Amino acid sequence: GSRLLKGYHGGHVVIRFALGGCANRPFFRIVAAHSRRARDGKYLEQLGCLDPLPNAHGEKVAGLNLERLRYWLGSGAQLSRPAEKLLGLAGFLPLHPMTVTGAERLRQRRRREGQAGTAPADGPGTAP
Amino acid sequence: PGWCPRVVPARGRKSRHAPPAKSKAERVKMPPPVDPEELLVVLERYRQHRLELSALLAEFRAEVLQKKREERLSGEDSAELLAEHRRLMAWNDEENARQRARREERLRKEAEEEKRRKVEVAEKQARKMEAFLKEKEKEVLQLQEEAKSFITPETLDARIEECLDNPCNYNFAIDKDGRVVKRTVLS
Repeated sequence: GSRLLKGYHGGHVVIRFALGGCANRPFFRIVAAHSRRARDGKYLEQLGCLDPLPNAHGEKVAGLNLERLRYWLGSGAQLSRPAEKLLGLAGFLPLHPMTVTGAERLRQRRRREGQAGTAPADGPGTAP
Repeated sequence: PGWCPRVVPARGRKSRHAPPAKSKAERVKMPPPVDPEELLVVLERYRQHRLELSALLAEFRAEVLQKKREERLSGEDSAELLAEHRRLMAWNDEENARQRARREERLRKEAEEEKRRKVEVAEKQARKMEAFLKEKEKEVLQLQEEAKSFITPETLDARIEECLDNPCNYNFAIDKDGRVVKRTVLS
């Protein structure tokens, strides 16, 4: 287990996102911390970072320290849902089911909107 | 339970003691609609995902334990580690001694400088004192010299007679260059 100077009763290590940055400019640090700590508070180790806003080339950039990630996961750290999703997208862990489900839903919604767009276009086109 | 329709909404702006608004009295919260086929598919995906994830985590755990074991076992060739440690400690001691020597040298030089400066200052003080005393001595002697020509009650009459006998004319002008002009009457 992990020992902290703060002395919690219970709790566990989590790998989660700590929010930083300025107004209208978020920036996440991927961090291994005790679960009872504040989101942006003292952490055990920083394992990477994520910039949620796309850059000039339209890419969203993230950095990961896979070596240390393996160590922490092997020592029994838990993951938060967005951290799991990010690692699934990165390929380090298997893809999260909700990523796939979300993509399917989006695709269906787009198809439905496409059909709804063409069907009323056909209607007024054929009627007059 | 959470799916119960008549449930108090999560409080943002209001405290827990504030009553709900009248416009929200008839509000019935329903859970989001769930597609049963999608639900089945999603549950199956979750099961699969958890299997894979737990397997991966078990791998990582095994890796970490292996590393710890190797670390523990490779620490048994402690002879050369000890030798290394002693060598490094010896080198450290040498470095410390060298630094100490340099520091002491510097401190000694500084102490010498201080002493020399102090001595200089004392000397200067002494010289100043001497000069001052000499000045005072000279003044005293000069005063003594002048005291011989002072007018005392005994010599008063004689001096008055003397002054009356030799009248001195102080009527002179002086121009800007300091030359004395004795000729006062314009003629």
